[in-house]
Amino acid sequence: MRKRTFLGLAVAAVLGAAGTTGAAHAEMAAEITKPVTITFYNYNLATASAGADATREMIAKFEQENPLIKVKTVGVPSNDIITRLQADMAAGMQPDVAQLVFRDLIYLASDLGAQPLEDLAGPKGYAALTDGLIPRGVDLGKINGKTYGLAYTFSTPILYYNADLFRKAGLDPETPPKTWAEVKTAAEAIVAKTGVDGFFPGAYGPTDGTFVYQAILMSNGGKVRDGNTLTFADKNGIEAVQMLRDMVDSGAHARLDPANPQEAFAAGRLGMYLYTSALQNSLSKSADGKWELRVTGMPAFGTKPTAPTNSGSALYAFSQDPVKQRAAYELMKFLTSDYGYTIITSKIGYLPLRLNIVDDPKLLGPWTATHPLIRPNLEQLSRLTPNVAFPGPNYRQAEAMMKEAVSEAVLGPNDVVKALSEAQANAQALMP
Amino acid sequence: MTTDVLRAPRPMARPLRRISDKSGLDTAAGHVLMVLLSILCLFPVYWMLASSLRPANAMFETSLWPTSMSLDNYRQALEAIPIGRMLVNTLVFSVVSTAFQLLTGLLAAFAFARWTFALDKLVYSAVALTWLVPFQVVMIPNYLLIAQMGLLDSIVALILPNLVSALAILLLAQAMRSFPREVIEAARMDGARNWRILWEVMVPNLRGTIASLAILIFISTWNEYFWPLLLSRTAENSVIQIGIQMFMTAEGNQWGPLMAASTLASLPVLVIYVVLQRQVVQSFMKSGIR
Repeated sequence: MRKRTFLGLAVAAVLGAAGTTGAAHAEMAAEITKPVTITFYNYNLATASAGADATREMIAKFEQENPLIKVKTVGVPSNDIITRLQADMAAGMQPDVAQLVFRDLIYLASDLGAQPLEDLAGPKGYAALTDGLIPRGVDLGKINGKTYGLAYTFSTPILYYNADLFRKAGLDPETPPKTWAEVKTAAEAIVAKTGVDGFFPGAYGPTDGTFVYQAILMSNGGKVRDGNTLTFADKNGIEAVQMLRDMVDSGAHARLDPANPQEAFAAGRLGMYLYTSALQNSLSKSADGKWELRVTGMPAFGTKPTAPTNSGSALYAFSQDPVKQRAAYELMKFLTSDYGYTIITSKIGYLPLRLNIVDDPKLLGPWTATHPLIRPNLEQLSRLTPNVAFPGPNYRQAEAMMKEAVSEAVLGPNDVVKALSEAQANAQALMP
Repeated sequence: MTTDVLRAPRPMARPLRRISDKSGLDTAAGHVLMVLLSILCLFPVYWMLASSLRPANAMFETSLWPTSMSLDNYRQALEAIPIGRMLVNTLVFSVVSTAFQLLTGLLAAFAFARWTFALDKLVYSAVALTWLVPFQVVMIPNYLLIAQMGLLDSIVALILPNLVSALAILLLAQAMRSFPREVIEAARMDGARNWRILWEVMVPNLRGTIASLAILIFISTWNEYFWPLLLSRTAENSVIQIGIQMFMTAEGNQWGPLMAASTLASLPVLVIYVVLQRQVVQSFMKSGIR
């Protein structure tokens, strides 16, 4: 983390010195009349997974349907893509389109020249791009009313549970926990009657980001920041973290290595696991023939509605050339089309942001019929709440300080109020 | 009298036997300890191999021997990434980097150890200081330079910043400074000049140091991750460490193919070690004796 932070700062300094990040918000060309090649940075392509195969399939179909556009892909792992982007921009080789996570949204718009899609595409073009997408999904990539990131591969936190462990603990898997109080009761029963761990959220590990924590916090009415003022140690924030700490103290919340709770759950040694819905395919394979995997929505604080936030990525346009901007726009439109989301959901495991395809027999319908575990995810989309990105050049450090404080407050020996308040005061110094 | 004589050695024999028993016990305890340490060292390798044979739904079983075995993970790994090409790239990267770092290290170390020249101590200190600068600090400037040269996504670009190593220069200079002056003088009296003294007198006698340094450089280059990650743009021009990492995804880690790829990746190093085992051990032993 520190290495990456340092690298980011180093490249930012080079970028600043070179003055390479200018925002040219000219509108794209009306059409493409001659062959053009665009570069697409994509983190799914940096993996040997179904995500890479599905992305290649979509790009091949796009090139087939748009013979004048050639897409040159560069696969970079998700955790390193921002560093590569910065380095390539400093070297004068910026991509035309890039798939990047939401946490970098503000920095990409303010410092790296991501294009607002309303300006790039014009009113008609923007409408053609976003019509049919769920409005809350489009909002995820907006800053001050302008869309810099077009939601792409995307998921929300859901509660996975092991139905076999539920039965052994005398619980009914047909009525999974809906509130945090019920999660605590169920987890305590699992620990007492089966001897394995009860519950763990994917909120503290090095690659987890903060979307699970933010979803818990916002479900209790809290916010990580209000403008440039950090607020995660306010009353609601402290209550949310105190709830997790109480579960740790009672033994309901396991004390696992935060780096790999997924393995404990996949091995059948953890009753409930709150994490991204993108893991569903992987967990289904691990559970196959061994134990029964089930899924429900993220737990609520009593009667308060939950606020599931988004993990995953958005597509950003960086092209300066109008023809390449047009080609980038066409690619973004294709990847988030009905066809695109049919492939993304059925072959990678992310959520469809076009709900019209879910039961369409020509699109996602046949897949949905055989994969009912997606339903709790879809139900959560109506309450989708944007993950809050941090502003300023020190955004990653400020976010990391918040995350470390939460981890320390929940799993460490310190007082929750003290841990969060101190971290908030320290991180505030890094805010613009 | 005779009895006394015969009896006399007995008290002597007892302590001897005790010493012998103790020595035997020590040897047995030493062997047990070594066996335990060997198991400790080999167990992760065994677990990697065993996990590479387990299907996805048995990946997290804790039984020592896989309850069901298949080569499916190897098929998946070989289909998903160009393992052969990546291994060749890694081997070329490691061998060429090691060879160049040894060559440049020997030449520079000889100059520092044997010659006195203007600002030699300052230059030596500057080399030592570069050793303290983490590679991550110079990685971006190096990247920009490589990009300007149009060498991105190539093995040449991977090797270029690794041609010279401060560690090699410092270590070899230290070894050459402690090299017996008399031997060098004798060679000089026999008419040998610097070039011959380096290659025919010093290098053969520093084989132990050079071998251990070569192993160090080779292993650290083989495990290099950040620089190839920044530089490579296609799997075909990348190294095996990047290939292994490709099985770790946001949609869940694919432990089976990852372990299969790791097993295949460790095979060349293992083969090289088995083939060169005697020489490596001898080099270390000679180095230790000196």
